[in-house]
This record gives sequence, C-alpha cells and structure tokens, in this order.
Amino acid sequence: VSFYTKIMSWLTLPVDLLSKYLGLFTDVWLTLVFGFLIVPAVFGVPFGIHKYYIKILLSIFEWTTLQMELKAKEKNNQLYKHYTSGIIVKVPDSTLKQEIQDLRCSAGCLSLDPRLELADVFVFCRKALENIIDDDVTKRFSAQKLENWNLLTRSNHNFRYINLQLLALWILGVLIRYGVLLPFRVTVAVTGIFLFVVLSTVVGLIPCTKLRTYLSDKVHLMGYRLCVRSLTGIITYHNRENKPKNDGICVANHTTPIDGIVLANDHCYSLVGQLHGGLLGLIQRAMVKSSPHMWFERAEVKDRRLVAKRLRDHVADENKHPVLIFPEGTCVNNTSVMMFRKGSFEIGCTVYPAAIKYDPRFGDAFWNSSKFGLVGYLLRMMSSWAIVCSVWYLPPMNRKEGEDAMQFANRVKAAIAAQGGLVDLIWDAGLKRTKVKDTFKEEQQQLYSKILLGDHEYQNHP
Amino acid sequence: MTRCWLRPGRTDMESGQKNAEEGGEIRRLGKRFRKLDLDGSGSLRVDDFMSLPELQQNPLVRRIIDIFDTDGNGEIDFIEFIRGVSQFSIRGNQQQKLNFAFRVYDVDKDGFISNGELFQVLKAMVGSNLQDAALQQAVDKTILSADRDGDGRISFHEFCTVSGSAPEPAASAEPTVL
Repeated sequence: VSFYTKIMSWLTLPVDLLSKYLGLFTDVWLTLVFGFLIVPAVFGVPFGIHKYYIKILLSIFEWTTLQMELKAKEKNNQLYKHYTSGIIVKVPDSTLKQEIQDLRCSAGCLSLDPRLELADVFVFCRKALENIIDDDVTKRFSAQKLENWNLLTRSNHNFRYINLQLLALWILGVLIRYGVLLPFRVTVAVTGIFLFVVLSTVVGLIPCTKLRTYLSDKVHLMGYRLCVRSLTGIITYHNRENKPKNDGICVANHTTPIDGIVLANDHCYSLVGQLHGGLLGLIQRAMVKSSPHMWFERAEVKDRRLVAKRLRDHVADENKHPVLIFPEGTCVNNTSVMMFRKGSFEIGCTVYPAAIKYDPRFGDAFWNSSKFGLVGYLLRMMSSWAIVCSVWYLPPMNRKEGEDAMQFANRVKAAIAAQGGLVDLIWDAGLKRTKVKDTFKEEQQQLYSKILLGDHEYQNHP
Repeated sequence: MTRCWLRPGRTDMESGQKNAEEGGEIRRLGKRFRKLDLDGSGSLRVDDFMSLPELQQNPLVRRIIDIFDTDGNGEIDFIEFIRGVSQFSIRGNQQQKLNFAFRVYDVDKDGFISNGELFQVLKAMVGSNLQDAALQQAVDKTILSADRDGDGRISFHEFCTVSGSAPEPAASAEPTVL
C-alpha cells in the first residue's frame, strides 16, 4: 500500500506544483492586464511604452532584411523588392488622342490628320499588354506587399530557410505573438465589449437628456479606447483643429471595419450601417440605446431616398454628432482611394474629410472579405505586432456653385488621396465583385472615332 | 514605333548578369500568370482576362487574346503567354511588333488582311460612332492606297510599307534596359 501511495504522491506532485504556479501565473497576468491595459483605457490615461516597442521592432526588421539580402547575394540573386522594381515601367497616363498623335509623329507625319492609319492599333495593343502584365485595379483588392519582411509568415512572399538565427527569431516572434500578445488582447477586447454593452444600456435608461448625452459620450469613448488597446493600436492624429463638427458628415477612405474604431477613438460620431444579427447586432442595439446611430434593416438599405432622408434629418439636428460615412462602399487595401459613391454628397451639408493611412510594416489592416470572415480577420489583427496608423483631419469642404454631386465627391476624394499619399483612382471599388459598365468601352470607341473623323466632322455626324 | 514597346522595370543589376535578369522577369510574369488564372486551371481563358477592369474598356482585347492563342484551343497556357508578352518587349525587334499589329487585323490568320477583316476590326474600335457606310468607305480607301500588287488585300510587306516604318539604322539602337 505504501508503495502505491508513494507513486500516487509522485504523480500528483507535478499537478500540484502546476496548479500552484498556474494560479500564481494567472493572478500576475490578470493584474498586468487590468493594471496596464484596461484601467488606463477606461480612464483615458496613455501608457507610453509604444514608442520603444515600435523602435525595437523596426530595428529587428531591418536586421531581418539585411540577413535576407546577404543570403540572396550569396546565391547571386536579387532580392525582389516590390516597389523599386515593377515588372514594367509604365508610360505615364495620357489621353488616347495624345498617344495616337505621338505614334503617328514618330512614324513621320507632322499633324494629326483625320484619317485612318493602320498603325493606330499599336496604341490599343500596348495599353492592353500593360494592363495584362500589371493593371492598376486588381492589386487594390489584396494585401499590399511589403519591401522588408516583418517576421509574419503571412507577409513573406519569398519564404525560404535563410539561416538559423532568423528561424530562431521567427519562432520567438510566433511565441510572443500567439502566447503573450494574443491572450492579452483577447482579454481586453472581451472585457471592453462587455463593459461597453452593459454601460451603454444602463446609460440609455437615464431620463435626463443632457446627462445621458454626456455619459454616453464617455461610455462610447471608453469602449473605443479599449478596442484600440486590444489591437495594440498606435494612432497619430494630425490637424486636430479640423475635427468634424455637429453640422456635417465625416468621410474617410475605407480599409477595414476597424476604420470606424480608429476615428471614433478621438471624437464621437454617429455611425450608419446595416443592422446585423448575432454578437455584432447585440453591440449595435446596445449602442443605439444611448446615442442616435442609424442602423438600417436590410430591406431599408435599398431604399436610397429613405436613407438620404434620415441622414438629412440627423445632420439638421445640432445636438447630434457628425455622421461617419465611408463612400467607397467596400474595403480596399490602403494603397489607393477608389470611386466615392455620390449619395452622401447629395445631402448638401458640410463634408469633413479624413484620411487614414495604415503602416503595413507592423500588421496589415486590410480586410480581404473574400478570403477571411470577420472573426478570422480579427484574430489575424490580434496576432500581428501592432496596428499603426495616421489620421489626418482635412479642412471642411462644401459643394461649389455649379458643381454636381459626383464632381464634389471627386474633389473630396482627390484631397483625401493627396493627404494620405494614396493613388487616386476613378474605378469603382465594387468592381471586385462586378463587371465594368459598357459605357467605359463605348467611351474609348467614341474617342477613337473622333480621331478618325476629326473633331469638326464628328460633330456633324448623325 | 519606339513608343509602343514595353520597358522592363529597373533591377539595379550589373550589365553582365543578363540571364539572371531575364530569369527574374520570367519568374515575375509567372506570378502574374498565376494571379490571373482565377480557377487555377493552368491556362487563361477570356474570362480571366476580362476580370481586369482596365482591359474591359479596351476594344481590341479579344483580338489580342486570339493572337496569343497560337494553337487555337481557346486558352492561353504559360508558354503562349510568355511568347505573346515578349513580342512587345523592348528587347524584341521591329519585325516582331509589326507582325503583332498585322495579326490584329488578320483574323483568319491566312497571311493577308482582307477588306472584310479590316472592316471587322475597325468596327470594334469605333463601335456605333460611325455608320457602316462611312466606315466601309474608309476601309476601301485604305486598301486601295496600301495594295501595291493589286490583289485586293494587304500582305505583310505592304503593311510594313504603309505603317511608315523604315528599318532603323544600327547607330540609333535603343538601350535595352532602362
């Protein structure tokens, strides 16, 4: 009997030790999380180790790239850098007329006579081949490629074994991200959402409007701050004097569902969107109890007049917060700004543009909805190094005399693209799912016909 | 003519490593091919090309795909892709480019551009902006002026002459790498 009890005690000893140390570990962990993340976030106190975190990460990434370059040099290859060496050098954009003129001139004629030249076809061919090799649109619908590797497998396109140190560093990175950072972040996120839903519902019950508005603002800001901390978001706001006021709408470029959180972290907005089911729907319903967000049922979304009316009523009310709208309609990968839908620009109020630019070196924020669902996306976010971004508030813009909604939208889009350092495209972001309208091809045909006939003749042509 | 060539991107390489450079280009084209091949079948069909919005607005895209498709099976495999693209590379010669342009018009690939073929291709380029009668007039005029041997259609030789491309003297050769 004593022999068996001895064995039992040996077996239970590690379990005892484990539970004792695990208990200690859990205590320490919870203290750290609450002490350093949650409580400061609730009270809006910054906790400033982020600068050093970023610096350390950047110097590690530089070392990583150096290693990869050395290895590539050994094998006499060139490390493929995506931006400095595209497949082809593109001719800068010029009109069809200009290009055909250049072509005909190089073949020896002096002016653009309105006649048929067999060689004109070269211009269309070259354009087509340029687009076949490297087009400007489809690359906006997938994650931006990085110049230097940031130790995340998901952003490594030349993944090969380089050397032992790099492998060790990568493994260490994986352990830190999934073992330490991810649990921290998930805890903060869960706490944050729970607190937010409960407090928002409670505040919604207060009868006195002024007090309710004041408290709901605080509750909302707290909720967003916790969400930002849960992603290790490091956001820099520029030009805060241009922050949106209550009499207008705020528009911004759209990269991820987190865009709303990034902006709402600094100022209170009213959100617009479709009412979902599940957890997201629960959060939406809790939010609307204390602050007038506009959630539409799926059927109502199609009724543009209804949406426009609600927006107009909301904007007219001085006491309500500015509405936050993303006119692109869908997420693109933060290298460009695509066509803005004109609906929000028809309302006739002041537009406060904001440009959001994510730094892709620490974690790619783009949500590729065809590849990942929302939960998968959030997990990827929480297991990246950090989400670093810059937000610029631009001066307010109003529609000019004689400008229609589409022109106004394009003007705002150009301003946002210029500020954020993004490419300004005319293409509709919805093209990731639909085809181009025939009018684009007809426009090209029309332009060529004008060249064949000469502008003058073309006017007279039936 | 020089404006219609595709220049390869910069690679910062020493001039002695031309083979490695070309290998790098083929690898990049391979990546692009895989990206265009939406269903992963190993060859590109018209639908795969038409997923590029900028190509959808090009009136000649179907002719170009047809030229790439040298074996005529309706699909472009990787070899046909590389061959097709390289004809427009700055490293190719003048003949290749003229040949490509000629084949845009030569729909039935018989080595001659007939009246009907020229009309068909031009119709694609102008759409409904020109009446058929006026277009036919322009086509007739062009064939009349280009046709030297009087057979009513344009041969490759006649095409080269009419495109205003005299062979360039060797001294003014373009640098091959930007």
